[in-house]
Amino acid sequence: MSEHTILVIEDEPQIRRVVRHALAEEGVRIIEAETGRDGIDLAAAERPWLVVLDLGLSDTAGITVCREIRKWAIMPIIVLSARHAESEKVALLEAGADDYVTKPFSPAELRARVNAQLRRARLSEAGATDGLIRINGLEIDPGARVLRREGQELHLTATEWDVLRVLLRNAGRTLTHQQIFRAVWPGSPGDPQQYLRVYVARLRRKLEADPIRPRLIVTEMGVGYRFAAMT
Amino acid sequence: MLTWLALLLGVTIALSLLQARLEKAHMALAYLLLVLFGSSRGGRPIGLSLAVLAFLCFNFFLLPPHYTFRVHEPLDWLVLISFLITAIVGAELLDKAQRQTRAATQRAEEIDRLSMLGAETLNAGRAEEAVWAIAAVIRTTLDLGSCEIYGPAGEQFRCIAAVRRDGFSPSQNGRLESLVPEVLNHGRVVLLQADGTVILDEHGPESVSEILARRTDAFGWLIPLRVRGRAVGILRIEDQVAVRPDAAGRRFAEALSFYAALGVERVRLLAEAEHVAALREADRLKDALMAAVSHDLRTPLTTIKAVGHEILRDGDDRAALVIEEADRLNRVVSDLLDMSRLNSGGIPLNLELNPADDLVAAAVQQTAGVLGDHELQVSIPEADILVGRFDPVHSVRALSNLVHNAAKYSPPGAPIRLTLERVADMLRLVVEDRGKGVPADQTERIFEPFVRLDGGTHGGGSGLGLSIARRLAEAQGGRVYYQDRPGGGSRFVLELPAAELPVWED
Repeated sequence: MSEHTILVIEDEPQIRRVVRHALAEEGVRIIEAETGRDGIDLAAAERPWLVVLDLGLSDTAGITVCREIRKWAIMPIIVLSARHAESEKVALLEAGADDYVTKPFSPAELRARVNAQLRRARLSEAGATDGLIRINGLEIDPGARVLRREGQELHLTATEWDVLRVLLRNAGRTLTHQQIFRAVWPGSPGDPQQYLRVYVARLRRKLEADPIRPRLIVTEMGVGYRFAAMT
Repeated sequence: MLTWLALLLGVTIALSLLQARLEKAHMALAYLLLVLFGSSRGGRPIGLSLAVLAFLCFNFFLLPPHYTFRVHEPLDWLVLISFLITAIVGAELLDKAQRQTRAATQRAEEIDRLSMLGAETLNAGRAEEAVWAIAAVIRTTLDLGSCEIYGPAGEQFRCIAAVRRDGFSPSQNGRLESLVPEVLNHGRVVLLQADGTVILDEHGPESVSEILARRTDAFGWLIPLRVRGRAVGILRIEDQVAVRPDAAGRRFAEALSFYAALGVERVRLLAEAEHVAALREADRLKDALMAAVSHDLRTPLTTIKAVGHEILRDGDDRAALVIEEADRLNRVVSDLLDMSRLNSGGIPLNLELNPADDLVAAAVQQTAGVLGDHELQVSIPEADILVGRFDPVHSVRALSNLVHNAAKYSPPGAPIRLTLERVADMLRLVVEDRGKGVPADQTERIFEPFVRLDGGTHGGGSGLGLSIARRLAEAQGGRVYYQDRPGGGSRFVLELPAAELPVWED
């Protein structure tokens, strides 16, 4: 059944093994491709629920594979990379990848990211995007623009709501600064960094119990932000 | 000369034989022809001598009373004097025309040679060969004992080309060599006199031609070679007699030294281009190496960590150590790669406006695994959101390194304190621990690579943490320094440029 198929595109057999063991569970079927070319073909043929793509492939650049798959499929793509350059992460997220895991990673880390993506995909399928959200003692109603902490109403400005809604709609997925900026200020030629990061900092101070140890809005330094995955 | 005298005699005899049928004008013209002929063939001295002698012959042999220098008719004096003047003027004019023709031909030849030399220079395969060719031409054209051309080599200078006449060797004058910088940097001219003394000439920038004309007692010269007014090299010429080129020679020297200057510049520019190409290639190789190391080291680490987790899941606690060491190895690899990048000057920076909150939160998250039993107490200003202009990733790295360092040197259970505040135009982040502190004589040493003080725990690491933190801070316009903590322990301070909160309409 395709909803339990995960495609792993990775040329090193040891890493394939690691990923296989990390994600294997009851009802999950793992298919593997050794080259980018094979990966694209397999993705088209099998239509998996999620793709794990390594960037250091021997035949094609990972970003090319990502763009190619994105032309005709919307399933989540999680990218694995040994290089830690933030510019590379940003480029991949903008090319359509949904998350980015750097080596060496622990199987638990990979599992958590995969589950977050699958949850998000399931939620967006179900259409539950602007509904009421209860998390960490907060009650968030994006539709009505009402925010409460333990019954007390908190005030957010219109722009803060816009930013929050973009994050909520993509909960569990890392968004780049550019992506958030384009969603909140469409068509604006301005410089995202000037405003966006400070807005998010203010938002965090209002939402989080401890802004220094945020549980809801996670910063990926140099890349963007991610709203915590919701069950 | 005798030929001409014979001819003169012959003409005189012929004229006297035909005297009855000839007018004075005919005779004057005949002599004139002879004078002009003699002038064109024999030059000015012959022409003038013939003019005077013809004048005398005309008077003596052909004008009544014959065989005397007296003249009967006063008008005949007019004829004689006119003849003399015409003859002399004719001879002079002819001579002048001949000299001009010779000069023009010579100049045409010079231009031909120079244009050929120019073409050869621009076409010469190796830039240095062209300079050698020019030096050789200068030496032979001016018939010098030696001609050497110097050009820059880094901060120094070197001899690019040196040609000598057989048997001649230029004076090994140390003082001459020591004056080369004067010539190169200040455009002065140096000359060597017969007695071996060396004079630094104080005259302002002149052309090579003017320089050589000015002093005729020099046995050798050090002359700056200029391109667009800037001295780019040195021409050194020397001979065993005084260097005294004539006007043509000086013109040549002028033109050739311009070519020499261009040749020297070409040598320099080619060397620079090669250097740049070599650097680019080295950079490319370095990047390729970095990528390979990154990939090839981190892939096996992934397997080790992952299998460690599997074993842990299966219940063997020893696997926790495997995982910990794999993480530690990863940190060492990252540190080494970063240190290498910092050393070769190649860390790209994204200096952006960032809230300090993000920096602190990211560092807290990154160090969560290495704190052990140390509690991290964080204090940030409640009211304001502090903003700075820094590279987010590198600043988090620097701050994390300081926190990690504090964890290594803190006694068990002791808390670590992280404070954020704004001081003047800097953001100040202070990491305090309650360890033993750093002895006063080591407070700078600890920031050197691979220096570790005693007393650190086996948290290990590469010994590069503080060094990297400082380099990263400085690259962004900030700094890292140490202070003793009042009451015992260490304070490590990271300062980064602060910024103003952007104004918005909300």
